[in-house]
Amino acid sequence: MTGAAPVPVVRRSVLRLVPLAIVWLVALWPVVLWLLSASDPELAVRTAQLAAAIATQAAWTAGAVVLVALIGFPPFPAWLRLAGSRMVAAFANDRAPLMKALADLRHFESAARHLEAGRLALQRGELAPAATHLSRAVELDPSLPGAHHQLGLLLFRVGQLRAAIAAFARAQQLDPGHAFGDAQLLAGRSAYVLGDTASALRLLEDHQRQHGGSRRSHYWLAQARLAAGDAAGARTAFEYAAVPSKQRLTAEENWFRALAKVRLWRMRRAP
Amino acid sequence: MKGLWQQADRTPVTLLVALAYGTLFVLCDPWNAEQFGKHLANYGWLTPLAAAHGEAWRMLSSAFLHGGIVHLLFNMAALFAVGPALEQSVGSVRFLLLYAVSSLGGSIAVCLLYDIGQPVVGGSGALFGMFGALVALNMRSGRHLLSFLDFEGPRRLMGLIVVNLLIGFLLPMVSNTAHIGGLCAGFLVTFVWLVPGREVTADLRAWRIAATALFASLLFASVMPVTRYDWLWNTALDAHDPNGQAAMRRAAAMSFFGTPAASDADAQRFYEDVVAPPPKDESPPRGR
Repeated sequence: MTGAAPVPVVRRSVLRLVPLAIVWLVALWPVVLWLLSASDPELAVRTAQLAAAIATQAAWTAGAVVLVALIGFPPFPAWLRLAGSRMVAAFANDRAPLMKALADLRHFESAARHLEAGRLALQRGELAPAATHLSRAVELDPSLPGAHHQLGLLLFRVGQLRAAIAAFARAQQLDPGHAFGDAQLLAGRSAYVLGDTASALRLLEDHQRQHGGSRRSHYWLAQARLAAGDAAGARTAFEYAAVPSKQRLTAEENWFRALAKVRLWRMRRAP
Repeated sequence: MKGLWQQADRTPVTLLVALAYGTLFVLCDPWNAEQFGKHLANYGWLTPLAAAHGEAWRMLSSAFLHGGIVHLLFNMAALFAVGPALEQSVGSVRFLLLYAVSSLGGSIAVCLLYDIGQPVVGGSGALFGMFGALVALNMRSGRHLLSFLDFEGPRRLMGLIVVNLLIGFLLPMVSNTAHIGGLCAGFLVTFVWLVPGREVTADLRAWRIAATALFASLLFASVMPVTRYDWLWNTALDAHDPNGQAAMRRAAAMSFFGTPAASDADAQRFYEDVVAPPPKDESPPRGR
């Protein structure tokens, strides 16, 4: 990735060759046993038993080490909290408001009602009906910034990033600073994911100037700055994202804080 | 009917596999409980013992048999959920190769890790291989290997895999070993070989050779388990040299009892306890 510290050549070679060597070792093992058993079957059995015991012990040890590392590794507890909060939200998400919105639509069709139905469907993860209602909302009233914003969220979720950027840009054009700059932020993120670093940087810097920013926005800004080669600027943004908070953060903010801490740690270790 | 022909044109392998599932299930006479098990055995259920003693073809045939109507319907549903899209993505020939390799992957896992007499049937080793292939395709299509987790569809796929594995652990009649073997085989063959349009670098070539060697070697170990007691005992019967025979019998006893050494008395005890007694009633086949 451009702007990231280069991995030393020796470490790169080891990272490339060690997994390959392990695969070859496992591949050659049955052949070795077969050759051994042809001359001394008891030795072959003993060797196989010893190898199995070593492999089992190594697997248990590696598993324990990985578990301890994951528990101590900041993003893992943050991810657990984020996954938990999403599960709770999914269970607590009642279908009644969506049913009411659909019933309202049956009485009278309007862009606002399609927008509401689409928004609720998107919240519940019902992407196909959300797409139908949001597209219809945009069709009925192209000047509704919320419809373009929600449509952009849907397109972002399914990976249609170019279309998402267009939708967010339209929302931003109709209502600058719409949803506290969320459209602009997600447009910047989509541009970054597509590899358009210049546009991503411009959008995310604008967002930071106009709206201050959250840990999430600073994390994404830092990634864009790193991709553009601005390591110092990236570090500043990561530091902002990683700063501890006196108040309890939301699960998502906590997650981005954990990620920023790891990135800062890696940047400090790099030459 | 026209739709079916069009589908057959687009995804012939998926339809042929589904046809094989249905045909073989009917041929096994599932309505006759007494004959059903015998037919499954004749048509190719897999046991590690049979695979190591001249019936390696069962490693593929078992992937087309099913232990009951529910088993068949579940696997058919999974096949039609995933198969057509995957076949259109990678092409019919590659899809057939993927199905075969994933089936073999599941069978290899069973042969290496299972009780030697436990029969296994079912296509879900291959179906898990398709899930693994989808994961591999998603991983290869992003900015970096884990960027696919940013999106809804791939996250749901991972969730589906986890849920199905959990179900496999909870239900005693399900062979999760075959599921995991198929998942790994399908993932590996797609990640290393089947992603279309990739540039073949020196690293990739090295990994292709290593992965192929690994697969071949594990297949070899499944059909020639040279340190397993049944293999050793049968090889001892064919040996001409009395010292070699005795050594193999002792090795068979070591392998069965799990001890680092065995005497001729242990070999005799192994013969009396394991080889000589008449076979018990066959346990019902495990589904995969």
